[in-house]
Amino acid sequence: MQKLADLLIQKFAPLQQLPAEYVYLVVQVVFALLMLMIFVAPFAGILSWVERRIAARMMDRVGPNRVGPQGFFQWIADGIKSLLKEDIIPRAADPILFRLAPYLVFAGMFAAFVTIPFSSSLIVADMNVGIFYLIAVTSIVVVGILMAGWSSNNKYSLLGGMRSAAQIVSYEIPAGLAILVVVFLSGSLSIQDIIKAQGAYPWQWFLFDNPFMPVAFTTLFISSLAEGNRTPFDIPEAESELVSGYSTEYSGMRFVFFYFEEWANIYLIAAVGTALFLGGWQLPPAVKAWAVSTGGALGVILPHFLEFVTFFLKAAVIVFVVIWIRWTLPRIRVDQLMTLSWKYLTPFGFAASLGVAVWMVLFPNGVPLVHYVMCAGALATLLYFFYRVAYQVWYSRQPIHLNPFV
Amino acid sequence: MAELRTEEMLLNMGPQHPSTHGVIRFVVKTDGEVMSAAVPDIGYLHRSIEKIAEKATYNGFMPWTDRVDYLAAMNCNVAYAMAVEKLASIEITRRGEYLRVIAMEMNRIISHLLAVGSLGMDVGAYTPFIHALREREKVNDLIEELCGQRLTYNYARIGGVIYDMTPNWDKKVLDFLDQFEPLLNEFDRLLTDNKILRKRLGGVAVVTREDAINYNFVGPNLRGSGVKWDIRKDMPYSVYPELDFEVPVGTGEAGSFGVVGDCFDRYMVRIREMSESVKILRQCFERIPPGDHLVKVPKKIRPPAGDCYIRTESTRGDLGVYLVSDGSDKPYRLKFRTGSFSAMAIIEKISRGMMVADLIAFIASLDIVAPEIDR
Amino acid sequence: MDDYFRNILDTATSVFEGMSITFSHLFRKPVTIQYPDKLERPMAEMLPDRFRGFLKVDMEICTACLACMNDCPIDCIKIVTKKDEKSASKERVLTQFDIDEAKCMYCGLCTEPCPTGAIHFTKEFERATESLDNLVFKFVPEGQVIVPYKAPKKESGAAEAEETADA
Repeated sequence: MQKLADLLIQKFAPLQQLPAEYVYLVVQVVFALLMLMIFVAPFAGILSWVERRIAARMMDRVGPNRVGPQGFFQWIADGIKSLLKEDIIPRAADPILFRLAPYLVFAGMFAAFVTIPFSSSLIVADMNVGIFYLIAVTSIVVVGILMAGWSSNNKYSLLGGMRSAAQIVSYEIPAGLAILVVVFLSGSLSIQDIIKAQGAYPWQWFLFDNPFMPVAFTTLFISSLAEGNRTPFDIPEAESELVSGYSTEYSGMRFVFFYFEEWANIYLIAAVGTALFLGGWQLPPAVKAWAVSTGGALGVILPHFLEFVTFFLKAAVIVFVVIWIRWTLPRIRVDQLMTLSWKYLTPFGFAASLGVAVWMVLFPNGVPLVHYVMCAGALATLLYFFYRVAYQVWYSRQPIHLNPFV
Repeated sequence: MAELRTEEMLLNMGPQHPSTHGVIRFVVKTDGEVMSAAVPDIGYLHRSIEKIAEKATYNGFMPWTDRVDYLAAMNCNVAYAMAVEKLASIEITRRGEYLRVIAMEMNRIISHLLAVGSLGMDVGAYTPFIHALREREKVNDLIEELCGQRLTYNYARIGGVIYDMTPNWDKKVLDFLDQFEPLLNEFDRLLTDNKILRKRLGGVAVVTREDAINYNFVGPNLRGSGVKWDIRKDMPYSVYPELDFEVPVGTGEAGSFGVVGDCFDRYMVRIREMSESVKILRQCFERIPPGDHLVKVPKKIRPPAGDCYIRTESTRGDLGVYLVSDGSDKPYRLKFRTGSFSAMAIIEKISRGMMVADLIAFIASLDIVAPEIDR
Repeated sequence: MDDYFRNILDTATSVFEGMSITFSHLFRKPVTIQYPDKLERPMAEMLPDRFRGFLKVDMEICTACLACMNDCPIDCIKIVTKKDEKSASKERVLTQFDIDEAKCMYCGLCTEPCPTGAIHFTKEFERATESLDNLVFKFVPEGQVIVPYKAPKKESGAAEAEETADA
């Protein structure tokens, strides 16, 4: 961002009379808003369509397919519908807090997006405490959910809000410990530095660096699912118990804000997982050299575009896994959730951080053999998984339809 | 330091709720998560079916018996028909008996599919519910071919059944059974083996053997508490003495934390009963004799004055019909005794000290269907 | 301690198996029938013969025996006959044959006693309408009378065979 802002100051003479900080500020804010409108909002909407289609195929149904080609404009129709709905505010609800809660939830989620890198220099704010800022600012969501539960003046919402506060606060610790492990390996809190410490090929990712990293990745993944209120941890919005949890009394666009935050949060989970463990936007050096060598304007844009595509594809795989888990597993109960966090994930987080610290003392430069062995293990698990999938399809003797679009 | 007085919250899991199975109200006193009492409040679905019976002729009352428990409609039809036949001393043909048993067992399969599917949905697993409904739709199509309706069959008549099988119907049902068994196994591996489900249902809402007998549990609920009692085996009726099947009983198999009589046992009894019903259906199709499916009965049946009580094993337990006749062509008094009504009594006792989420799992595992409670 | 690690192993294996099952469903054919515009066959073909749709009365063969009206458990059939003063033989004629299809519970008790099979089920069910009055089917047009059908005496054997076939 700094380079881009300097470029703009050079090109446009009137800007040189302002202090440089103001130009930087305006450029950052403009880019943040552009990212919100061009990337985050359409992504959350399209993700709702993708989720509904994937969920439908997992249930042997079709999903939305009437509004536009293959139902692609369903999310636009849903958005317009919720904008046009009557804004119902219960008379006994707290007037200020009720209106403020969706905005807090949204702000907490979006404020974390400014540190997500899209390519090696497309990042709104590359802070040197990037990942730390991200964990801290996503906790504002808790405040918003508690506000929503309390101000609705509804016992069900209150139950949902309290459960959610307990859940999100307890799962901050394993998430923080898993991120600590990555910080050990990379030596810096800045997300771009963490990605630059990895390579493009799987054996250069942090995930396969040493045997404790998969433990840390699993801990981070499960904790992020719990922070994002996704099944199996969607107790605050458990439909069969509490109608709709903390968002029961909301209607129209305010209601959509809560679910918008949930979908955009999925991308946040995926982006953090990709950046920290899966090598982020790193391209193989040969590919990068080829992209730069095309020369001219294309030579500047193409590497960044390829890096963005790499990052997005890796994040898309994690997004798919998050959706897939939602439609497979039942929900766990609130006390089981606490047990999981405090008795299973936190000890594993501590064990992982201790293990990685000891490993780094013993092998300061890493052990390439371990990288290759772990990659091979992951590949073997993946192949076994696809074998099981083929077995299920064969065993059930149902007709096959490979086309994702019906 | 003064004791901090926290008031208990009175939560109304009201008549409209996504997970009470039908229109029932629970008044729950809770302090956030742990309940101190959950009192059921029934009567929202009372339709005076028993009073209507006093105004309807014996033949004309058959469609109403469907609506007593619409998920086990065939069982209610047959129970009522058997009561009238016993009172009026009408013997029906063997083929009629076999057709009734075939329809009853198919009804048992689809009712249990819905029960375990909605148990999964209440616990948070949305996909197995849809898979169970997909199988249910296939059986609904088969029954539609047999008698014309998918939910309220009105298939049994006093004297037998109204329609015989269409040509090749038995082959279609056997084809369905062949492809149903692998899918039941897959459903098992998706939902039953899932550790999260086992932890949700294992050790939850334990109904001991003594409590189950004292509080008058019937059907899969009773068998889930370890009591081996099935009216089809212990007080057999119709052609059940000739059929060979097992009676599954709960054994506390959820894992190291499973107790005999918990929600998981009741769930497992239902899954196993579906496999047993498949066995029964195959045997019925092998043994069904040719012949008539309906005996001629007078247009207006006038049973002699007297009363009789019939017990059958419906999908939710012991469906009893008590019929009092005074010699005219309309019943004097008809009473249904249903399994879901018996299951409501214990909810208040077991719910002390349970969590709200467990109450949902408990109600779902009892397989309560609201029309059966209120009739 | 043993339980602790067994819990983790059980959770991992059961989640793995469950996820492989749902992933395998992505490759199967959806079972949805996309009604009404993307049907593979016409709706009437997809319904079985015994399907209980709306009731229809063939007025040419109705004998006005009133068996269906007497057997209906909820009294949704209304038949009015009167002696026709104008005709020579003063026979009964039908002036009204209404079936309130909104009340009807499609049980079939009216189709069973019909001696000629005049009242029967069709495969029609798509008659959603704005007003309940539109669902009262009047089989005798306004202002007309219909002479009931009389089965010829020597064909009584054939009529009985038709009756048992319907049952």
